[in-house]
Amino acid sequence: MKIETLFRHMREAYRGVKRNTWMSFAAISAVAVTLFIFGIFLIFAFNVRYMVAELNKQLVIRASLEESITNQGQEELLKQVRGISGVKTAKLVPKEEGLRRFKADWGDDDAEKLFEGFDKDNPLPDVIEIEPQNPDTIKQIEEKVKGLRGVAETTSGDQVTDKLVSLSSFTRNIVLVFGLGLAVLAAFLISNTIKLTIIARKREIEIQRLVGASNWFIRWPFFIEGAFIGIVGAIVPTVIVLTLYQVAYTTLGAGEASSVLKMMPLLSLGTYVALSIFALGAAIGTTGSLISVRRFLRV
Amino acid sequence: MHDVWKVYPNGVEALRGIDVRIDYGEFVYIVGPSGAGKSSFIKLMYREEKPTHGVVLINGVNVKRVRDWKIPHVRRKIGVVFQDFKLLPHMTAFENVAFAMEAIEMPRRKIKPRVEEVLELVGLSDRMHALPSQLSGGEQQRVAIARAIVNNPSFIIADEPTGNLDPENSWDIMYLLEEINQRGTTIVMATHNKEIVNTMRQRVIAIEQGVIVRDELGGEYGYED
Repeated sequence: MKIETLFRHMREAYRGVKRNTWMSFAAISAVAVTLFIFGIFLIFAFNVRYMVAELNKQLVIRASLEESITNQGQEELLKQVRGISGVKTAKLVPKEEGLRRFKADWGDDDAEKLFEGFDKDNPLPDVIEIEPQNPDTIKQIEEKVKGLRGVAETTSGDQVTDKLVSLSSFTRNIVLVFGLGLAVLAAFLISNTIKLTIIARKREIEIQRLVGASNWFIRWPFFIEGAFIGIVGAIVPTVIVLTLYQVAYTTLGAGEASSVLKMMPLLSLGTYVALSIFALGAAIGTTGSLISVRRFLRV
Repeated sequence: MHDVWKVYPNGVEALRGIDVRIDYGEFVYIVGPSGAGKSSFIKLMYREEKPTHGVVLINGVNVKRVRDWKIPHVRRKIGVVFQDFKLLPHMTAFENVAFAMEAIEMPRRKIKPRVEEVLELVGLSDRMHALPSQLSGGEQQRVAIARAIVNNPSFIIADEPTGNLDPENSWDIMYLLEEINQRGTTIVMATHNKEIVNTMRQRVIAIEQGVIVRDELGGEYGYED
């Protein structure tokens, strides 16, 4: 398409939007509401993925060793663990080290006093910490480690991720059904707006056909009008959703290293979310025009 | 056209076995009573309708077989003029004519000189910035003719172009069409105007009840109305 023609189509599309101000406004609002919900869902989904990834990074299997095991036995066991396929690292954490970490986690000056007795009679076991290459194989590795002689018990922290993943897929389904319904409504409103434009331009279209305008020449302005409504409808929800996110991010202190809640930083998330919202807006808009163009525009 | 039939979905047989050939550069009147099939005949020529049976060749293209996306290219070779002018009311005379060139994506630098040229040809150079509502019926029809010829079609189809005009304006339009014909453009004109047909003698094709009943060079109108 020539640039000149493109500009002409854009002018025509803009005229269409202006001609049916109220219908356009209603359509834009419907798109905005749809995209707002979609945006919230998107942020939620992105963050769940991010959190799962972050948690997976911290995933380790802790194998407590039997007390009776000798130093040599520990070394032997460590070798065996490292030999299991899928194990990235395995290191021995002696009980003294374990106690030190325990106190540090407590983080209180009183801890020294509180756990004073433990220095003499340390109740913690020696532990082998195992990091898997792939978080998905953690269960298999754990099973194998559990079977080794000298291992008393094993724990791994994947229960949290399991819950998070199942919660997120449940929420996702609800939001998707709801969002889909709204998207259909928005597309329907847009198709109605386009229908009004088609009716208003009936005579122009008739003449364009008579003088031999190509079918696409006649259709383009309507698609642009639909996309325009969709894209304008995307601006407000993008701004609101991202502002809310920034507020939540700062309030919850999610960016700080010590925070339990790991949220994606605004900059990387914002780009994805904004692009997705705008793309969906344009898609809803062009779908809406397509419906009307197919039904009412005889070319 | 060869053995052309047009039967509408409601069963009306508008055309029944039409055989006719119109050559480049001809001026042809299509006459006949109302409801005889003139409109259907005309509509087949600019591919508004498809024949139910038979072959319609326009510039050598079989309009029944031509693919939908190619129809616009067939129409670019045809200019159409209607009784009710079909001008866009919110556009000036100049814009109405330019609209036809924009529709086939002519570059802007070519549009202005060409539009001015045809508006001069139809005698409206000084009225080109007037809206249709500010023009007389005759002037409006001249704008419509300018629009029909602006893309250099090889023939013009005029459906009762003088039907809404007083005698004086009708003659002006006829002289204009004659001039366009003399420049080499084929003209096919459906009309009810007895005086014009009998004065400006050309080939006359009479259609009655969907059949060509008369086809003569320099013929007469042949009806009383």
